[in-house]
Amino acid sequence: MADEPDLSNLPEAAVVRKKRMRFSVIWIIPILAAAVAIGLAIQRAVSEGPVITIQFKSASGIEAGKTFIKYKDVRIGQVSAVTLSEDYSKVLVKAKIAKHATGLMVEDAKFWIVEPRISLEGISGLNTLLSGNYIGFQAGKSTEDQRTFTGLDEPPTILDQPGRRFVLKARNLGSLGIGDPVYYRGILVGQVALYNLVNEGKSVEITIFVDAPYDKYITSETRFWNASGIDVSVGADGVDVRTESLAALLAGGVSFDSPDYLPPAAPAAANTAFPLYRNRAIAMKQPDPIERRFVLYFNESVRGLSVGAPVTLYGLRVGEVAEVGLHFDAATRTFRPRVLVTFFPDQVVGRMTARQQVANGKELLTFNKEARLGLLRQNVEERGLRGQLKTGSYLTGELFVAFEYFPNAPKVKLDWSRDPLELPVVAGGFANIEAKLSSILTKVDSMPLNAIGTDVKDALASLNQTLKDADALVKNVDAKLVPEGTKTLQDMRNAINSADRVLKNTDSTLFGKDSPAPQDLRDTLQEVTRTARSVRILVDYLERHPEMLIRGKTEEKP
Amino acid sequence: MTATAATAAQAGLMACEACQMLSRPAGEGQDAYCRRCGEALEFRHHDSIQKTWALVIAAAVCYLPANMLPVLNTTTLGTSEADTILGGVAFLYATGSWPLALIVLIASVMIPLGKLVALVYLLLTVQRGSVTSNHERTRLYRLVEIIGRWSMLDVFVATFTVAMVQLQPLMSVAPGAGVLFFAAVVVLTMLAAEAFDQRLIWDSAYPHRNHHG
Repeated sequence: MADEPDLSNLPEAAVVRKKRMRFSVIWIIPILAAAVAIGLAIQRAVSEGPVITIQFKSASGIEAGKTFIKYKDVRIGQVSAVTLSEDYSKVLVKAKIAKHATGLMVEDAKFWIVEPRISLEGISGLNTLLSGNYIGFQAGKSTEDQRTFTGLDEPPTILDQPGRRFVLKARNLGSLGIGDPVYYRGILVGQVALYNLVNEGKSVEITIFVDAPYDKYITSETRFWNASGIDVSVGADGVDVRTESLAALLAGGVSFDSPDYLPPAAPAAANTAFPLYRNRAIAMKQPDPIERRFVLYFNESVRGLSVGAPVTLYGLRVGEVAEVGLHFDAATRTFRPRVLVTFFPDQVVGRMTARQQVANGKELLTFNKEARLGLLRQNVEERGLRGQLKTGSYLTGELFVAFEYFPNAPKVKLDWSRDPLELPVVAGGFANIEAKLSSILTKVDSMPLNAIGTDVKDALASLNQTLKDADALVKNVDAKLVPEGTKTLQDMRNAINSADRVLKNTDSTLFGKDSPAPQDLRDTLQEVTRTARSVRILVDYLERHPEMLIRGKTEEKP
Repeated sequence: MTATAATAAQAGLMACEACQMLSRPAGEGQDAYCRRCGEALEFRHHDSIQKTWALVIAAAVCYLPANMLPVLNTTTLGTSEADTILGGVAFLYATGSWPLALIVLIASVMIPLGKLVALVYLLLTVQRGSVTSNHERTRLYRLVEIIGRWSMLDVFVATFTVAMVQLQPLMSVAPGAGVLFFAAVVVLTMLAAEAFDQRLIWDSAYPHRNHHG
């Protein structure tokens, strides 16, 4: 076709969209923004530690976003949320932990709320008055990671310090509390760290922390006792009052010591369990390593005999009363008091000299049963070893059991196979006085009264002669000494007369009518009177014008 | 080419955005300006949609940290407290000043978000060549443009507070990273609104000639 085609019918050429496809420089802006945002997010994610949950009884002063977790006063985390647990009984505190502190979140880490506290041991947490409460933290030793914790109600008293923990077992807590002092010979060496009920609530376990280096004094033989308050015990030994310190008196505490009579032992391992005794006396005597039990049946009142009352041998303590009760004798259908006593052989050995202890102590302590019974039998049957109730204190009426030898006691037949072995007794106290009286009467009865009468007659004759001699002596004195005495008396009278004259002369010289002494005296007295008057005027003036002392006397204004 | 050319571009003419004078386009690929007022002349803004998208995405990216990061760090007696915008809203609401909380919520959270959503909507509809509700979309665009300049409220408040509350060592206020991002959101949305050529809304209604780019 030669002619021009209808151009208007041609399709329009496609627009080259190259330019449009090209990315504009403007895209740098969102890329930059995204890079910054992602960078921030990554930085956050990298620097952010784990989120942990701590369970508290109450969230006193804890606020999300404001409360920190501090360890050694360094912030290691921040509370992010405070919520109630599902059953509304607890508070769940969620906290973000800093990255660098992630390693601290282990099983036995401890959390507690630090707030101002005032206790007998002092005031703590005052800094929180301004900064607000924070959550305290104590690192644990475990390596197991944990993210859920239970917060402590009280701050742990033991922070990171050298020392060891020990466990005390007791029937009840007494007045002990967390943070109460632990004393060793009156020195504060540790604190009560924790207590909880164990054994289905039947006993208490108290964890104490003893600081180094005092922890080495705790050996397997160490006894612990409750030093709370005043310990007043009235026993057959009298009144015993003990306290450790004023703080212990008010707040309570624990003391420990090792009995002197035991050989030194190796230090105890950490977390060793010890019984906690009620007081020092009980702690230091119990439990004796070897103890033997005997039962005594008395025929008199045992009122005043208490458990723990001493059992003595010749007045020296060798045991204690373990039980006081009644015994029903089926044969005679009667009741008798039954007293179970504990006898500590090593206390007997301990009373002996060192040499004897070495020579015989071991033998006495390690007797086999037959040898032991033989020894006892010899003492009881041949020597007359008997138990007896004695009054320890007439003030309190406390009784104790005394063992002594009564060679005249009626022979007894004992059943040596029983356990505990029954030991014979003799009546004590007032009942015994009767026996003594009769014993005295027996002695009086057997006295050789006739022979004594003859002797007395001889003695009287001799006395008569002596008296006669004395009479002669007196007469002799009368004749020889009396004239001399009379002369001496005459001389004395002369001397007195002379003295009388001298005194009269002096009198007239000093106080006679014309003598100068009275005149002088009168003048002096008048002078004194005038002086006194002046002084009185001065004092009066001073009273009215005290300022005179400073300013001097001023002219009085009319 | 119809007789009823509705837009200057359809007639092959360039309208001055400032003085509305119509001019014929200069040579291909050459920059032109209005002979009357000197304004740069384009059929449509260069790369308008792409630029707007870029800025909107940048603003959206910044919007997240702006709301998540603290705007103000208040230190009172050693206790440091970081407040985000939403935290401030919650605090105001909890303390009973709900009108204030509402103002802050609208001005600082909802308006930036609304602007972003509006721009995205405009961009999508323009790209799709939507022909409906052109009037509404134009009105929406104008609203976005007008509101833009009022969106720096938070930044101003933060700046004033930081400047005024410097009671060392009792109390001090420091700006947080959130303010920076918030300002970025505001600036980027404003730029995005600026980059968007509202004439594009009407191009789809008369689709005979396209002069994108």
